[in-house]
Amino acid sequence: MKHKKSLSIAIALSILGITAWEIYWRSQGYFPDLDDDKYLWVKTRALVEDATEDDVVIVGSSRALFNIQLGQWEKLTGIQPIQLANAGATPLPVFHDIVENSSFKGTVVVGVTPPLFFSTTFEQAPPWSRASSRSEFYKNLTYAQRLNYSLSIPLQNSLAFVSNDDEAWIDDINLKALLKTIHLPPRTDKPQEPPFRRFQDIDINRNVRMKEEMVSDTAFANSIKTVWKTLLSGDIPPPDKEATIEYFLKDAEKFTSRGGKIILLRNPSDGFFKDLESKGLPRSEFWDELVTKANVPAYHYQDYKGLSAFKTIEWSHLSAKDADQFTENFVKILLEDGLITNLKNN
Amino acid sequence: MLFNSLTFVVFLVIVLALYYSKILSWTSKKGMLLLASYLFYGLWNPPLVILLWISTMVDWTAGKKLAAEESQRKRKFWLLLSLFVNLGFLAFFKYRDFLLDNFTSAVNAYGYGYEAQPMDIILPMGISFYTFQTMSYTIDIYKRKIEPAHTFLDFALYVTFFPQLVAGPIVRAQDLITQFYEEKRANFNQFAWGTFLLTIGLFQKIVLADILLADTSDQVFSSTAILHGVDAWTGTLAFSGQIFFDFAGYSTCAIGIALMLGIVLPDNFKYPYASIGFSDFWRRWHITLSSWLRDYIYIPLGGNQHGITRMYAALIITMLLGGLWHGAAWTFVIWGALHGLYLIVERLLRSKIHIKINAINGIFLALLTYIMVNFTWVFFRAREFATAKNMIISMLFINGEGEKIVETFDVIKVFLLISLLFMCHWVMRNTSMKEVSLKVNPWILGVFWAFMVFLIVISQGSGEQFIYFQF
Repeated sequence: MKHKKSLSIAIALSILGITAWEIYWRSQGYFPDLDDDKYLWVKTRALVEDATEDDVVIVGSSRALFNIQLGQWEKLTGIQPIQLANAGATPLPVFHDIVENSSFKGTVVVGVTPPLFFSTTFEQAPPWSRASSRSEFYKNLTYAQRLNYSLSIPLQNSLAFVSNDDEAWIDDINLKALLKTIHLPPRTDKPQEPPFRRFQDIDINRNVRMKEEMVSDTAFANSIKTVWKTLLSGDIPPPDKEATIEYFLKDAEKFTSRGGKIILLRNPSDGFFKDLESKGLPRSEFWDELVTKANVPAYHYQDYKGLSAFKTIEWSHLSAKDADQFTENFVKILLEDGLITNLKNN
Repeated sequence: MLFNSLTFVVFLVIVLALYYSKILSWTSKKGMLLLASYLFYGLWNPPLVILLWISTMVDWTAGKKLAAEESQRKRKFWLLLSLFVNLGFLAFFKYRDFLLDNFTSAVNAYGYGYEAQPMDIILPMGISFYTFQTMSYTIDIYKRKIEPAHTFLDFALYVTFFPQLVAGPIVRAQDLITQFYEEKRANFNQFAWGTFLLTIGLFQKIVLADILLADTSDQVFSSTAILHGVDAWTGTLAFSGQIFFDFAGYSTCAIGIALMLGIVLPDNFKYPYASIGFSDFWRRWHITLSSWLRDYIYIPLGGNQHGITRMYAALIITMLLGGLWHGAAWTFVIWGALHGLYLIVERLLRSKIHIKINAINGIFLALLTYIMVNFTWVFFRAREFATAKNMIISMLFINGEGEKIVETFDVIKVFLLISLLFMCHWVMRNTSMKEVSLKVNPWILGVFWAFMVFLIVISQGSGEQFIYFQF
């Protein structure tokens, strides 16, 4: 009988505790949302298997994630692109996975963020492994994991305290993240990293929008700028232009030879990033060479009024409102050039 | 399917609902448990269920023949067939690459320049557990210690029973099959206690192993630097806690889930970090494996019945094989060899020195045992000998100027948690959770229980696999 009483107490207190926890975090401004995790990515990757020649897949880095708004694209063409870009990662392993492990022969939009695209083909390097680990996970996904993720979606959509993003943001509210906020005097020589707050929201289609707070709160935007500066001010390995272009061209040739179409897109950047990119990876030596060798349609934001009329919020990504406009302008250019299908006209 | 997953929560609720429904007979309930067990295993990799079926069919047939056959020659044949199939699975799936690598190295040492083709075959989850379990069945029938299972369903459920299928406890046939002969139902108190065990098992896995200890252990053991002594100890202690909470957590979940069905599984851990000496350690750590190794390897090798030399040889062979059971790598063999050596030294010392254990010398000896066990964990966790060597050098503080890589908070967290773990094991070493739970105020137990549930929920573990699944 003792355990019966303890069980009743445990159930009551657990419900009370978890409810209080949820209410507390909602009062702190948190709301139920999805995590940008490997499970959401593989769920999206699975869509490629059934995609038709009219479909569009986006690969790239965070700029392709933030700046291409899937809803806008669908509104104009009747087709919702499959968003497979990964923050902080080169698109090469994901494109390779699509070429080698699927029969997709629609359109792939490749977002080219020079410091990431031209970074490396070394499999253990973070820009590569961040993307390739997701492709690997897709290959090895078990039925149990698939089912588990389907069950987690209603919870993520209902409870604010459920936050387990792969990125491990400073403002995540799971136990591990909360413990990381405890700071004691350092005993290692490792430089202290600035707080990296989550500055975007993601939906079930992997459509990413920058948080409105980033536009209204300069301090928030500045904190992200500090992160970029810290990340890129250390000892960064030099770009590996030859290897990355060669790797891409091999996959591009295979993809186009089976009827697939490739579109290269260089998204806008400003300030620190623009300086770094123009000095360290000058357009003429990197982007132009890639475009010439790949011989596929390519769009550099500087060449189009509709793509360059925006100011990035933290030197690298567009606000949600600007991203809508950017997408609209980009899609219109692609339609004018006859590169993508418009189901709305058919 | 993992216990620490939402899928399992739904799975368990459905299984319990069917199990306690009045629409199914006992035989149908066993059939349902069997199907649920195949689903539990198959949701990970469906084709590998075939291995379970083969093992079940072979050992069911061998068991029947062994019981019926009088000819010693034929009985030997059926036993060898069972051993050949089960050990064959292990050799092919678990040890093939290891054997091939060593063969390649040996051949190349003579300058042949041989290159083996890697086969890249998946290791079936829990293969070491269910093959050992089914082998014990045929060996025991061969020795006329037990009768074969009454029905194929009882035997198939014994091989596949989902709570303990992939990481034990390794249950003997006489302890589990006989429970399937009559309808089992948990009373409310048993059910509540089973739920408590499931909670504490998940708490150990999700909160203590995965959230509080795994990162520090991974950080230290993945470092290629020569570390500062404090960092090396922090990483090793973190791993000692992680492996205990991970594995004991799984066993506790398994025992709890089985109890919710009214089925009793044996204990697998009895506060091992408060062991006084290494014989005591192996009576408390992974008890069902150590008793398996004792009964099916150590005793057949002669045990302590044929003189000291043979006893020591039997001991070291048993521990080497125990090490190899955990993984196909030389680091595991060294781990087993160290434990074998510890056991031999302990027996030598015990024959020379007689100490009456009291609270003061007891805790000192327990701490000494725990420290020695930690040195063995280095080989268990390190993937390469170079890492293990560097770690041992650092742990012995031979490097004055090792690199510091673990932050202050993590050092404090690990030392605090491991001290609590050690003290908890010391206090509990002569009692059990059940006994303590019956003595404490139900409110205290209820609050502690709710606290664990709360921490499990806010941890939101990412469904990390249990370490012992790979063994």
